[in-house]
Amino acid sequence: MNAGQDSLGFGLGLRSEYYQAILEQRPAIDWFEIVSENYLVDGGKALYFLDAIGEHYPLVMHGVSLSIGGPHELDRDYLRRLKHLAQRVQPAWISDHLCWSRGNAHQLHDLLPLPYTEESLQHVAARVCQVQDVIERPLVLENVSSYLRCADDQFSEWQFLSALSELSGCELLLDVNNVYVSARNHGFDAWEFISSLPKQRIRQLHLAGHSDYGSYLIDTHDHPVSDPVWQLYQRTLQHLGPVSTLLERDDHFPDLDELLGELNKARLLAAETLQGGSQCA
Amino acid sequence: MRLSDWQAEVQSYLLNGDVTPHPALQASLLGSAALTAEQGLAIYHNAYRARLLETLRGDYPAVHGWLGDDEFDALALAYLNAHPSQHFSLRWLGAQLADFIDGYLVPAQAAPLSELARLEWAFTLAFDAIEAPVLSMAQMAELAPEDWPSLQVRLLPSVQWLTCGHNSVAIWRACKEQTEFPGSQPLAEVETCLVWRDQLITRYRSLATDEAAALQGMAVQGWNFAELCGELSGLGEQAPVQAVTWLRQWLSDGLLQRYPTD
Repeated sequence: MNAGQDSLGFGLGLRSEYYQAILEQRPAIDWFEIVSENYLVDGGKALYFLDAIGEHYPLVMHGVSLSIGGPHELDRDYLRRLKHLAQRVQPAWISDHLCWSRGNAHQLHDLLPLPYTEESLQHVAARVCQVQDVIERPLVLENVSSYLRCADDQFSEWQFLSALSELSGCELLLDVNNVYVSARNHGFDAWEFISSLPKQRIRQLHLAGHSDYGSYLIDTHDHPVSDPVWQLYQRTLQHLGPVSTLLERDDHFPDLDELLGELNKARLLAAETLQGGSQCA
Repeated sequence: MRLSDWQAEVQSYLLNGDVTPHPALQASLLGSAALTAEQGLAIYHNAYRARLLETLRGDYPAVHGWLGDDEFDALALAYLNAHPSQHFSLRWLGAQLADFIDGYLVPAQAAPLSELARLEWAFTLAFDAIEAPVLSMAQMAELAPEDWPSLQVRLLPSVQWLTCGHNSVAIWRACKEQTEFPGSQPLAEVETCLVWRDQLITRYRSLATDEAAALQGMAVQGWNFAELCGELSGLGEQAPVQAVTWLRQWLSDGLLQRYPTD
């Protein structure tokens, strides 16, 4: 699955701040990842630009509110709308996060980590299968940055992701920055995390920036990618070969050119790492 | 602890204003040399409030501008306690703020503030309302003379109809243009304000009482064009002229769709 011919190349998270510039400049970006919820609306500007940009670039859908590990019933209305959006967008794949974002009573609007236990594994795997039945394709799940670790954990996060993928058939979105942030916060080895995942299940990589609070890190997506994350990315590519790579920025938006420069850095690093491999579009 | 029990503990911790965790939740967590369990929980606790407050500030910039940070945040937190989010999208987080203000403040304070909140929410509703075919001037030009009397129209789905007893539009405009806060004033006469989306641009306009009554009659109550002219009979021979003038204005604004739809 992660073979070079399946890689979309180097993409950028589509944000409204860049709609106009993208249509005017048609930048050399291989693909865009949309936040699905931003387009689960009835009409207006977001859908207009989605259609216009989708005419020129491949798109991938990335959700933030599936709450695959939540204690509630899966939201059938949300899934129906997600599927409807997928019919409009024709995404290369659909992703969300290994997390829960809704409690039994209320929406919590955060990517909350799960205890990595056998109970969680069975709970999430069953729900992934339900989602896949609706969307009629493998769900791609991303590792989140976390600031909590449960005393009852029976698996490491990477063991949990591997077992979940095996049980449910889901694919993985490996966020290299999130691995780095969680590794620093919880004191595990980032490379052990990445190298232990099943290679053939990794559909996509994420790169983003974080904020350094001294002893710990917070995943803020408002800075350029840090040097240690670039190093981890390079090592990841050596290990995996070419994989679709996506740069995320969610705050302190710089000019599009600056993000293009950062994306180009990923492109050059990949070319250098893979000895001028064919991953570049 | 079972998964669902642990999640209930985390939810309760996030929703509670107190950053000190319940002992059962604290005992379920491991800290590290870099990040203690209390610090980790506090990151989520802070992020939950910060994210929701940022959303409400973004949806209600004029209410925020009027109240200032501290008063707005106090209002918003009281609202969130009364109405924890029920929708998967933050888009709908602030849907009930205006109604909440009506019950939260004394009526004299609530009336102008909730009216401003309704105006701001109307902009969000118009912004992403469903599309519908706009009745254009060109289509009207092709309408056969014998079809004019029976012509019926409806408002487009994006059109939001507001009744203002205060200078909410002036306050909203001052916030938008970053000019001095004009102070809240009751209007001498209640005014109709429309907010709608024209192509991709969200627009607004205040209507005089007679124009608002005519638009209400034709596009909401369902009068046809002949009935509109009949309602204006007090104007004598000028009735059809006035009716056509308004209709042109509404078409030019992009407010109307043909009824029944094809």
